[in-house]
Amino acid sequence: MEGNSVTDSRSANYGAKPERTDGGSLQLSEEMRSLVLAPETGNSFTALLELPPNQARELLHAQGNDDAPAYRLLHPLNCTPTFPSNAALLERAAVFSVFAAENSQETSSIRGNLVGNSGEKVKQEPVDTDSNPNSSDLNGNQKSTKRKEREKKGKGLTKKSKSMANETSDDGEKLPYVHVRARRGQATDSHSLAERARREKINARMKLLQELVPGCNKISGTAMVLDEIINHVQSLQRQVELLSMRLAAVNPRIDFNLDSILAAESESPVDNNFPSMVMPLMWPDVQVNGNRQQYQQMWHFDGLHQPVWERESHNIINADHSLLSYDSPTNSVSLLSNQLKMEL
Amino acid sequence: MCNPSGNQLDNVSRRNSARMLKQEFLKKWIMGLQICSASKKEMSILERKKAIKLSADLAMASTKNGTTNWSLALISNASKENDNKTLVDQMLGNHHSEKISTKRPSIVSIFRNKRVATCRGKKILKKRGGIRRAKKMASSATSIAKRLVKKRTQVLKRLVPGGEYMDELNLMEETLDYILSLRAQVDVMRHFANATPKFES
Repeated sequence: MEGNSVTDSRSANYGAKPERTDGGSLQLSEEMRSLVLAPETGNSFTALLELPPNQARELLHAQGNDDAPAYRLLHPLNCTPTFPSNAALLERAAVFSVFAAENSQETSSIRGNLVGNSGEKVKQEPVDTDSNPNSSDLNGNQKSTKRKEREKKGKGLTKKSKSMANETSDDGEKLPYVHVRARRGQATDSHSLAERARREKINARMKLLQELVPGCNKISGTAMVLDEIINHVQSLQRQVELLSMRLAAVNPRIDFNLDSILAAESESPVDNNFPSMVMPLMWPDVQVNGNRQQYQQMWHFDGLHQPVWERESHNIINADHSLLSYDSPTNSVSLLSNQLKMEL
Repeated sequence: MCNPSGNQLDNVSRRNSARMLKQEFLKKWIMGLQICSASKKEMSILERKKAIKLSADLAMASTKNGTTNWSLALISNASKENDNKTLVDQMLGNHHSEKISTKRPSIVSIFRNKRVATCRGKKILKKRGGIRRAKKMASSATSIAKRLVKKRTQVLKRLVPGGEYMDELNLMEETLDYILSLRAQVDVMRHFANATPKFES
């Protein structure tokens, strides 16, 4: 079994081993105890992420049971713990996540028991433990790709986990895999892990979409949210259709003057805004004046009835200069730009 | 607005980027409209509407500069029809249509193979006495939920241009971007439409 081989290899590396009587207890030196007990108060699992995965893994390895006051901790200098022969425990410990982003659901007893100050000390431990066949037992390439994916996953990662990822790559002995923490009672094989990572990514995207689409925040359940998203997209597409129909109805002629666009844009005082090119260009023969009555007289459209100004258009009217002719694109341009600015 | 807090800063930057997007879109749209009107003098109202919509869509897609799948899909779909080809070429530059045509087949073939594979896999499952398994799966609540989600995602795939060829994760990202662009497009078009006179005929 994977666990046993781990135990053996690890034991082989170290000299003094405290005797292990049962699955739980361990004799520790004073030093180690203080080392280990200190971080008990520092409750963050995420601090664990500061550690390079091998050392952290050992910490976790050590954390067999909650009740055990003794920690199996790999100490660089003298005593070394033997690892639990408890297969389930080993299995769990062997699968270790460097990214705590998703660990909100994790009920592992390990969390909250370690780290904090011990982090620094543990870091200095020799990295040789990664000769650990544990890694080899796990799914190599998949994990490394997973790590890359996780590194890319901006939203999900905490900053610490990101730095951890960087650290792992900077380690002298580069771990080619990412060890993923298996949640309590969940399968640990490669497929389900990959599945889980993928699902979490999708859920993160879904959350983003929920924030984007109005009215989605209160809905729970993927299907409903997707429903809302679909409705939103459909309504937007319909709006585009309607608006283009509207615009098509406005003018019998779509007539543009590219030169005046560029000229107007450069001259326009409002550069921070919709360029100004809009209005005069669509309706070159339109004269826009200062008041409504005149509009109705002055609009000339072939074969079309007189236009009805909307309320917003009055803003155009309020501007100082009046658009007399198409020759003065600047004026018309700035008028419209003022209006658009207000609307924006 | 003088001392924006963290949140406000976020909103401000978002608004600025949205505004820039809209400006770029507007420029390109106007250019497209000009091209349209230059080519044909007399158009029916439906033709005009199509031209307007097409140039708007293309303008929006071109602001993405080929970074997103939906924009590429939109452009390639548009250039498939011969009527639009000239517009596409002129709007985006001739090199663009070449880029699209070379990119698409590879993507399409990859995904087509993927789909075929999954279909075949399902058939095999059913053949090998997996019918019972399939039925059992259908009855549980989670699988019902899964089916619903799957149906929805299929609908979404049809809505987003080029969606049929994307896997779920990419689909989500593309949808996100697509919604943002659609919003900007609708905003600009609405302002445009509001700024012009309406007619009662």
